[in-house]
Amino acid sequence: MSFLDSLAAGLALVGNLESFLALALGVAIGVIGGAIPGMSATMAVALTLPFTFSMQPITGILLLLGVYKGGIFGGSIPAILIKTPGTPASSATILDGFPMAEKGEAGRALGMALWASCTADVISNLSLILFAGWLASFALSFGPPEFFTLILFSLTIIAGVSGDSLLRGALSALLGLMLATVGLDLVYGTNRFTFGDPNMMGGLNFIAVLIGLFAIPEVLAMVWNPTAHLGNARKLGSSWVSFADYKKSFKSIVRGSFIGVFLGSIPGIGAAPAAFLSYSEARRKSPDKENFGKGEVEGVAASEAGNNGVAGATLIPLLALGVPGDVITAIIIGAFMIHGLQPGPMMFVLNANIIYGLFIGLIVSSVFLFFIGSLAIRGFRFVADIPKRILVPAVLILCIYGVFAVNNNVFDIGVMFAMGWVGYGMMRCRIPAAPFLIAFILGPLLEDNFRQSMLMSGSDWKVLFRGPITWFFWGATALTVVAIVRTSVRAIKNMNIVRSSVDVTIE
Amino acid sequence: MDEKALQLRLGIGACVASAVLVLFAIPNFVTAPSNVLNVVLSPLFWPYTLSALTGVAGLALIAASLRMPNTGEPVNEASDERGAAILRMIGIIIIMLVSLYLFKRLGLVWTCVLAFLATAFLVKTRHPITAIVCAVIIPLLLYAFFTHVAGVAIPQGNFVRLP
Repeated sequence: MSFLDSLAAGLALVGNLESFLALALGVAIGVIGGAIPGMSATMAVALTLPFTFSMQPITGILLLLGVYKGGIFGGSIPAILIKTPGTPASSATILDGFPMAEKGEAGRALGMALWASCTADVISNLSLILFAGWLASFALSFGPPEFFTLILFSLTIIAGVSGDSLLRGALSALLGLMLATVGLDLVYGTNRFTFGDPNMMGGLNFIAVLIGLFAIPEVLAMVWNPTAHLGNARKLGSSWVSFADYKKSFKSIVRGSFIGVFLGSIPGIGAAPAAFLSYSEARRKSPDKENFGKGEVEGVAASEAGNNGVAGATLIPLLALGVPGDVITAIIIGAFMIHGLQPGPMMFVLNANIIYGLFIGLIVSSVFLFFIGSLAIRGFRFVADIPKRILVPAVLILCIYGVFAVNNNVFDIGVMFAMGWVGYGMMRCRIPAAPFLIAFILGPLLEDNFRQSMLMSGSDWKVLFRGPITWFFWGATALTVVAIVRTSVRAIKNMNIVRSSVDVTIE
Repeated sequence: MDEKALQLRLGIGACVASAVLVLFAIPNFVTAPSNVLNVVLSPLFWPYTLSALTGVAGLALIAASLRMPNTGEPVNEASDERGAAILRMIGIIIIMLVSLYLFKRLGLVWTCVLAFLATAFLVKTRHPITAIVCAVIIPLLLYAFFTHVAGVAIPQGNFVRLP
């Protein structure tokens, strides 16, 4: 199939009212979900997932992608108006967004956030279209040893950069891999941790685990401290973003978008570091650097461009290699799986129409984001007024229905509750949940590719080092570990230095 | 609990988990056929490898904690009232357990109505009327969507049945 044939097939698939409505609805849900402090883009995507089961695959996936895109922008609204990021990705937006709101320029800050988000979104989507196909055609030559080393590399980097510490990330990933062993063995069909319960023979339900890990802990956190997330929203003010503001910030927006694209295409890094890096680069290069942190519109533009630049790029490893780059794409891979689709290089061959349909939908989503985002900025006070103590039980009930709908099984609800407590424990212990979930998803693939490699080589370990691709991934894994360990050791040294200087000052 | 104490406890916890898995859980709850030709293909290989790595991660966490300074700064923000917060957490555990028990008896919809109300009052909602209205409407709307749009057979229970 040529590029034009694929494009035409994709257009035929999404060129209907249902797909565009799903996309627009998704963006609206995402913006609202991201704008509600205490919810997040991740939770919004997780809670929307069960509603896509009965839809056509392309419609369901477009809905979720819309939620993802909308959620990342939506997080900037409370970040600017009440100094509480709706999603972790919006943390950098507070630095200049909130001071602008305090000066009565919230409308200008939000307008710039929207314009920067939409520009970054377009750049990110174009990068996805450009690179995903190229990477997938390269990955078609991968065999089990290459996939094993690729997944190992992805897990290493996700474990290393998801939280504050490589060791806690590694522990989280190991626990996720261990949980993935529950069920019947892939080769021999014998029981592994099933305790004789038929419900556990197919392994733990992925949707129950992910909703348990990412939605229930927020419910429990709210039960622990119901008065958290309360804040007074600032007024929008009379000034609005101008084309001169946009022109002034354009370089920072484009730079931030490419930073987002680069970091987003590496599994595990995510939107928050991209936003901070984009912000610091903009401050370094700006002639008004002394205004950064005091309400500089370019600062808002840079951080929003950084976090939205990630949104399309995280789909590059997902679609081309079948490796989710962050938690949201891990949830989206679940939507693919529910509909019997396996993202990866073969999808570009077998389901090219879906891939190109998604590309078209993503481009359109930027337009929807612009219009829906403009409305959301004006309507935020209604979202901010939703009582959190009504929202908490509503989220709980949504989780229960959503998880039950996967298999019509009450056992899955029990799994979700149990995983909710595990997730809450991890949250309290500062163990990142992302490596756990991604390892849980990739665990069976990792083991399967390892065993296939062993079977095809007659258990010769050398097969795992059989060519330049495996060597590349082994090298990248080793480099990642060395870099993260060095950073961790340096951080501990710095803590010791700070501590000793504080002690000296006290004496 | 400061960062150092947390790291130390996590390390000890990981080592204990690894020991329990290697010495008790894997031998008792993972079965492998006796005719496996190569150890790396055995269903036991992966769980044992992961358990061993968990132990190594635990030891590394302990070693890292010993190098960390005592900051004395708590890792988590304290709740407004610790005693009340603990009672609320016990309350939510009870709500979850009772819900699991009631799903098949009362049905998903009515159990969710009760769970909604119980959770809303547990977190001391300032909008009791809204909570009651939402507790009825949200589960019914979700029932209507999943039953009539998504085609999911939502359990109805033994008492009040819905169309």
